[in-house]
Amino acid sequence: MSIATKARLYGFGASLGLLVAFGGAQAQETIKLGLSVPLSGAAALWGKGSEFMCNTAAEEINKAGGVKVGDKTYDFKCIAYDNKYNAAEGTKVAQTLLNRDGVKFIGGSLGTAPVQALQSLSERQGVLLFTTAWGPSIKGPKFPLTFTQMSTPFEILPPLIRYVHKANPDAKTVVLLNPNDATGQDTEAVAKKVWTETGVKILSSDFYERGTTEFQPIAARIASLKPEIVDLGTMPPADAGTVLRELDVLGWKGVKVVEVGTGVDALKVTGGKAIEDVYMGAAVIFDGPGVSDHQKAVNAKARELLHESLNSIQIGFYDSVYAIKAGIEKAQSIGPKKVGAVMPQVKFTTFYGGQIGFHGKDTYGSNQQMELPVIITQVKDGKLVELSRISASTN
Amino acid sequence: MHTAIQLILTSLQIGAVYILFSLGLTLIFGVMRIVNFAHGHLFAISALVVAYTVPLLAGWNLPALPAYLLGVVAAVAVTLVLGFLMYVFGFRYFQRDMVGSFILSIGLVLLLDGVFLKVFGGAVRPVPEILPGTVTILGAPVTAQRLALCVAAVIITALLYWAMTRTKLGKALRAVSIDHEAAMLQGVPYGRIAFAGFMIASALAALAGALIAPVTIVSPAIGADYLIKGFIAVIVGGLGSVPGAILGGLFVAAIETVGGFYFDATSATIAIFLLVIVVLLVRPKGLLGHG
Repeated sequence: MSIATKARLYGFGASLGLLVAFGGAQAQETIKLGLSVPLSGAAALWGKGSEFMCNTAAEEINKAGGVKVGDKTYDFKCIAYDNKYNAAEGTKVAQTLLNRDGVKFIGGSLGTAPVQALQSLSERQGVLLFTTAWGPSIKGPKFPLTFTQMSTPFEILPPLIRYVHKANPDAKTVVLLNPNDATGQDTEAVAKKVWTETGVKILSSDFYERGTTEFQPIAARIASLKPEIVDLGTMPPADAGTVLRELDVLGWKGVKVVEVGTGVDALKVTGGKAIEDVYMGAAVIFDGPGVSDHQKAVNAKARELLHESLNSIQIGFYDSVYAIKAGIEKAQSIGPKKVGAVMPQVKFTTFYGGQIGFHGKDTYGSNQQMELPVIITQVKDGKLVELSRISASTN
Repeated sequence: MHTAIQLILTSLQIGAVYILFSLGLTLIFGVMRIVNFAHGHLFAISALVVAYTVPLLAGWNLPALPAYLLGVVAAVAVTLVLGFLMYVFGFRYFQRDMVGSFILSIGLVLLLDGVFLKVFGGAVRPVPEILPGTVTILGAPVTAQRLALCVAAVIITALLYWAMTRTKLGKALRAVSIDHEAAMLQGVPYGRIAFAGFMIASALAALAGALIAPVTIVSPAIGADYLIKGFIAVIVGGLGSVPGAILGGLFVAAIETVGGFYFDATSATIAIFLLVIVVLLVRPKGLLGHG
């Protein structure tokens, strides 16, 4: 071997060694956070905002040095697929996330039916699942790896309905309308119970199929029953806005409640002026002295993308990323089962401000529900006004 | 009485769009003997183009009505281009081939679903109010927009009916629909007539989409709901029959309205499917079907 060849070989070896050493020092393993959310249809805005919030939290954590387990550091990466808010697509998304992408942490999922499809795989495969799904059937000791990232009917409905009743004591009758799926049915059961306990008579409780575009017959039926309150439960904003507009055309005037109402803009798209005075249970206000610079900055960025302020559904996808980080660091493991075991004890900083953990043992049998405040809002002169903020401890 | 009038008006308002939608479906089936599952996407793209162009034009200080009319022109043009591409590169090769056209149209549905989502995004698009106000007909309130939609649908349907019975093209379409071989023996150019039928159906879907855009929830998924109802309407009325499509459209709208009013929306949907089963059992070719 000539000297020149030897020199080339040594040079190549040295370069390779440097590359490996440098690369090794730089390499930061990535933890994939799967999302099963609607990215099309009436609830697309919720899904897109959820993906945005997951990415925002992941970027913040990555910039701040990532997730630390011993001497290793991990980055987060969010991967979102469209579950179209139905079980069939939810099943496909579950297969893709768990079996193809090998995801071990679900950063968030939306819609009880698609989440049930996902959960049937995630619990079996030992994958940690965060969800906004409202159904009480998805929580409890039977599902130790499932955690809820937003308040659900059990947390929102009692204070919201009590507030609406107190503000409108003369309103004695209500008609309920919900989507005909697991989300709608679970919510309706709670709403019926709370309205009845409050002393309001339920004239009718109806369901409609998701994907419906003609709400005239539904509105005609509601108006004919002459209720003093209309509760549109878990209807997505576009659907709820359409019903309110049709009710307005028919001359119905009364108290309007959208329990999962998440903001003015999306409701206004189809509801126009008919959304005035609507009470909501899942919207968040982003102006006023109590709003932090961080909240304002993230919301401004979200508005550029979504043309709508953030809401509690989407914020749940931010909080879950921080909860997973806290869980991994507390467990000092990236094993989802180990993280799931410590999750009920972790504390993390919520987007709303302050440290929170998990509660819900009395309701669900285990602490799987984030301790979040319930914010009651109402549309006034086309703008959202915060009426009351009830902390999880007093709820 | 007031309730009856309200229900009739609601049925007519909903039925107007179902009719326009079903006429396109039945025309394509009659002439080409194919079932086009991508018809809902022709309808959807039209509504989406209106939802995009009207706010854009309104932003340039154009009044709502002219902005909407320009939006309709753009929507019809875009839909016709999509219809042309569908025909030339797809359905032309699968005429009178139910299985082939079925697979092709399902493939188109999947392709266009993805393309629409990519181009338009999944969120609901707002269309500004074009004709503000509400009018009262025999004590029942109807928005001016809905009323205009009904009037437009009646005019379009009447024009189509006149064209089908009085013009050379209409007679050729009917002849091909009844017996395409006999029509060809009489000198009817089947290929050209099939193309014309497909483009007329695309135009009907475009008009239906553009008309419904200001009063409904416009998103890339809008076509799916109308496709199911449109198919039910043509099956009930009789595949390939123009009067059948009109009757079927009104029938579906009436059941949806009356069922939804006296029971609930889910019961009404079940009732519509039950109706299809009954009609198929009693009259397999539909109420006015002949082929």
